[in-house]
Amino acid sequence: MLIAPSLIAMLGFLVYPMGSVIYYSLQHYNVAKPWDNGFAGLENFRTLLFEDPLFWQSLGFSVRWVVVEVVLQLLLGLALALIVNESFVGRALSRALVFSPWAVSGVLTTAIWVLLYNPFTGMSRYLADMGLMEYGAAPLANPDTVFWAAVLAELWRGVPFFAILLLADLQSVSKDLYEAAAVDGASRMRRFLHITLPHLRDAIILSTLLRSVWEFNNVDLLYTLTGGGPAHQTTTLPLYVAQQAAQSHNFGYATALTTVAFLILTFFSIVYLRLSKFGAKS
Amino acid sequence: MRRRVVPAAFLAVAALAALAGCGSDAGSGGKTEITFWDTNAGPSRTPIWQHAIAEFERANPTIKVKYVGIPIAQAPQKLDTAIAGGGVPDVADVSTSGLANLVAQKALDPVDDRISKNPALTGKFNEALLTTVRNVVPDGKTYIVPLSTNAGAFWYRKDWFKEAGLEPPKTWSEFFTVVDKLTKPSENRFGFTIRGGAGSIAQMLEVVYGQSGITEFFDAAGKATINDPRNVTALEKYAGLYKKNTPEADLQNDYVKMVAQFDTAGSIAVMQHNLGSYQDHIKALGPDKVASFSVPKSDSGTQAVLSNPVGGVGVFSAGENKEAAFKLAEFFASKDIDGYIADKTGVIPANTDVQGTQAAHIVEAQRVLNDPATKVVQMPYHLPEFNEITKTWAEPLFQKVLLGELTAKDFLDQLAAKLTEAQAGYKERHG
Repeated sequence: MLIAPSLIAMLGFLVYPMGSVIYYSLQHYNVAKPWDNGFAGLENFRTLLFEDPLFWQSLGFSVRWVVVEVVLQLLLGLALALIVNESFVGRALSRALVFSPWAVSGVLTTAIWVLLYNPFTGMSRYLADMGLMEYGAAPLANPDTVFWAAVLAELWRGVPFFAILLLADLQSVSKDLYEAAAVDGASRMRRFLHITLPHLRDAIILSTLLRSVWEFNNVDLLYTLTGGGPAHQTTTLPLYVAQQAAQSHNFGYATALTTVAFLILTFFSIVYLRLSKFGAKS
Repeated sequence: MRRRVVPAAFLAVAALAALAGCGSDAGSGGKTEITFWDTNAGPSRTPIWQHAIAEFERANPTIKVKYVGIPIAQAPQKLDTAIAGGGVPDVADVSTSGLANLVAQKALDPVDDRISKNPALTGKFNEALLTTVRNVVPDGKTYIVPLSTNAGAFWYRKDWFKEAGLEPPKTWSEFFTVVDKLTKPSENRFGFTIRGGAGSIAQMLEVVYGQSGITEFFDAAGKATINDPRNVTALEKYAGLYKKNTPEADLQNDYVKMVAQFDTAGSIAVMQHNLGSYQDHIKALGPDKVASFSVPKSDSGTQAVLSNPVGGVGVFSAGENKEAAFKLAEFFASKDIDGYIADKTGVIPANTDVQGTQAAHIVEAQRVLNDPATKVVQMPYHLPEFNEITKTWAEPLFQKVLLGELTAKDFLDQLAAKLTEAQAGYKERHG
């Protein structure tokens, strides 16, 4: 009886939705084509694995997006955390500025960057006025620049996540360790490599895992910034799911894609935690 | 025990009462409440519907209408979700471009009986519009009370044309010449703006069929004509405008971005859309700077225009207050209100009793549509897959054509195959 509320909550909020997704992934269910609806078996999975180039393209883009975003966010977030962990005049204000993008909603972040990238009102307009660019140039419409333009927007939002987490962990490092190392003649770099980094190990593993899953599932920023375009060039797997469900009304196929994405993320999480030996004493 | 039962029962009753309040018929003050979804909500259209609703409530004091505005890009998804999961409105504005999908889901009630029993509406609708409404569904019934139709329009900067000593083009050759002459990238001026993002395909089809002069979407054998060599040549010319006469940003242009370039940034000489954007242009640029011309004639002299969706209001089968819902739909279609809506939104009214507006863009559009020489290419709105094919599937490929990553021929061949297959399926299902 004591565990009944938890059990009911798990059944209602975890088992039922997941079971529902798996059920529909085995169906042809398209509200625009009701005459075709019915049991599909594994056909949706066969189609996505062997007949749908967009599945592989969007999965490939998702992996590239996650790797670039998480690595850059980690490096920049770590750098910022180290800086605002030092004592200097204006540290409180600096911390507030570093963390402020995290408080901005995803859609608002996109709105800011859409305006910045707008060829008639944004940065490129001013650069064109100065003769440094052509009028009408648009970073989000150019296949050569759209990826990095989107990466930059997401970095602005994502770096504070790492900065906050790593700064919190940095503040628990004993000052005695640094003093002892300094007495022994350890350089600043050696202190970072042998004291700071090992201390941050678990925080880095956990935050990169969380952020990887988060970035993989990212829909809001890319949906509103590029819509997955141009020509599917910034379509992640979840964005492809959203297009299949919301635009094509092909819910059966969309849930099959969702099931595969779920399996990929679960497998990745298990392997990542195993390989990184999360929680093990160094 | 009794102490526990009483509060529990009270809570249950309170919860049921609260839940009951969610229904559409739990009107305040004994009024019947119905919900109306405006599926193209925005600053220019919302006040028009709100005014029409206020007039309805004044005429029908026992009915309260709850207005729900939904941006056009989200409307099909919201409707489909509501149909699948419950929570449909009583009435919504629905155009023939999405009608087949709703009827396939058995979401709407036919309105033929209501129209035939209403002397204020019987015989008052433009027959061509009624035919279009009936042709998009397999059973030939009328599922929306028609309110208006639209027409393709090319909005242009009158002041720039005057400055350059140019006249609005009458043929497609003239169109390409004019666009070229008005393009001055170093001065941040572009002759044209292509809609490369959401909604690109309908505009592309209008330019392609307009140039080729082909007048049927499917041939007698049910094969799509979109990949006819004349259409391929036409698409090549159209796509050739990208980055030569248009900004690079056009690749991702939806309506909002396109209209912002034309109205707000003031960098575009000619913008292709329809009569519906009239208010936006007039507000931003004023009547001295903007006017419209119709789809130019092909070089062979044929004026081919695409059939435009007919807009109307539908009554949902799952609604609980059908009588009030039908009353609202009929009220919107009445002479005065239809005339008001058409005038304010800048489109052609469906009710033939409405006195014709003298606005130049409407007069010109009606001239083209009423000209016996004009050929109307009927868009296959009867295919429930049409939106999926032209939006989800075709829009990214059209972007590839603009980028030069896919040839016009390959794109149109694939599009033709999809449309031909959908048409064959439709024939098989409905004969």
